[in-house]
Amino acid sequence: MTRWKEHLPVILAGLVVGIASVVLVALGNPVNMGFCIACFLRDIAGGLGLHRAPIVQYIRPEIIGLVLGAMITALAGKEFKVRGGSSPMTRFVLGFCVMVGALMFLGCPLRMVIRLGGGDGNAILGLVGFIAGIFAGTLFLKKGFSLKKSQPQARVEGLLMPAVNVALLVLVIAAPAFIFFSTEGPGSMRAPIAAALVAGLAVGAIAQRTRLCMAGGIRDAIMLRDFHLLMGFVAIFVAVLVGNLIVGAMGIRGGFTPGFAGQAVAHTDGLWNFLGMVLVGLGSVLLGGCPLRQLILSGGGNSDSSMAVLGMVVGAAFCHNFGLASSTDGPSFAGKVAVIIGLAVVCAIGGANVKKV
Amino acid sequence: MSSPSPELPHIATFHTHYGALCFQRRLAGLGERAVLAPVPRKLSVSCGTCVRFSAPFQTGWADEDLEAVYAQEGTDYRLLFQAQEE
Repeated sequence: MTRWKEHLPVILAGLVVGIASVVLVALGNPVNMGFCIACFLRDIAGGLGLHRAPIVQYIRPEIIGLVLGAMITALAGKEFKVRGGSSPMTRFVLGFCVMVGALMFLGCPLRMVIRLGGGDGNAILGLVGFIAGIFAGTLFLKKGFSLKKSQPQARVEGLLMPAVNVALLVLVIAAPAFIFFSTEGPGSMRAPIAAALVAGLAVGAIAQRTRLCMAGGIRDAIMLRDFHLLMGFVAIFVAVLVGNLIVGAMGIRGGFTPGFAGQAVAHTDGLWNFLGMVLVGLGSVLLGGCPLRQLILSGGGNSDSSMAVLGMVVGAAFCHNFGLASSTDGPSFAGKVAVIIGLAVVCAIGGANVKKV
Repeated sequence: MSSPSPELPHIATFHTHYGALCFQRRLAGLGERAVLAPVPRKLSVSCGTCVRFSAPFQTGWADEDLEAVYAQEGTDYRLLFQAQEE
């Protein structure tokens, strides 16, 4: 009983994230993409003109909400601790590589779960790859991988990422002419700004309180035989699955559509869905958390995580400027090369940072 | 996850997973019982690793990666040692 009381917050967090995802799709977000950290950071990069793929340009309020929600609860709980300086450039590169993998698969680990809950069978290959990547990451951890400890920093260092997100909020509301808004494709599908922001704030706050982390759940299960965080992961899946069955029955946007072909913003190349998520899983373990977790930590004053997030944004811009990102037609040759290079780079970073235990 | 463990009443938290691994192996080398575990939420916002151990803490075990050491008392934690930072 005590154990279940301990697990309840993270299970409830997972359920809220899952429900929020289904609601955001019903309100206009792309199907099976109520939340996706990788896709939404990519959209933000496009909205700012860092890449010119016209179908994925929009400053997503969900991301802004996640960071600000995490900051608010961290401040309220006296947990806003500004730290950084733990191999920032390495974290930037790892974030970049994680994005290359995510845009090969077409989604971050959170969207992978959401896609599973929507019946997208391609995400099963992604999940297997994600687990394999995390397993590889735990081997580095067991060998003594470390990016070295962070140091306390000036308060302004931790406030800059939330400040950047406030600026993004102003831009998406004011919509000046130099900001890009997709008129077709996934970037044009969006829930109302207020709803997206509120959902982001709620999920950000909850994730900060519960430490919800897609990679952490599987890492702890593999390495420590601890299933606490994994329960949040499973709860997201259950909530999305049940939510999709309900909205499907009601004829609302979204729904559960089992199968491989014709899934929303997805492709059917199993090998590259697998390898893309291997890269995401491995990179996430070396970073200490999945893309969602990096955003939440950045909102809590962790400038190392902010570096990882910036690496993801720049990585997304590169992926679309150089044709590395997959489309619904499948992966590109350049994207396959980029994933292989990304795996080599992440393994090299892992090996280079192993210390004697 | 953070249930009281009468056999392992002490919890050491670290700045890195590597620090936890070194500490756990150091104690194991001394013949002390020590296991890696997730950090209890009450002690840290990080989803990192702590070490639960049985022996009374000795300051000589501390290194630069050690953050703090606590004694678990029911569902609460009493601070035993806090590493100083600049």
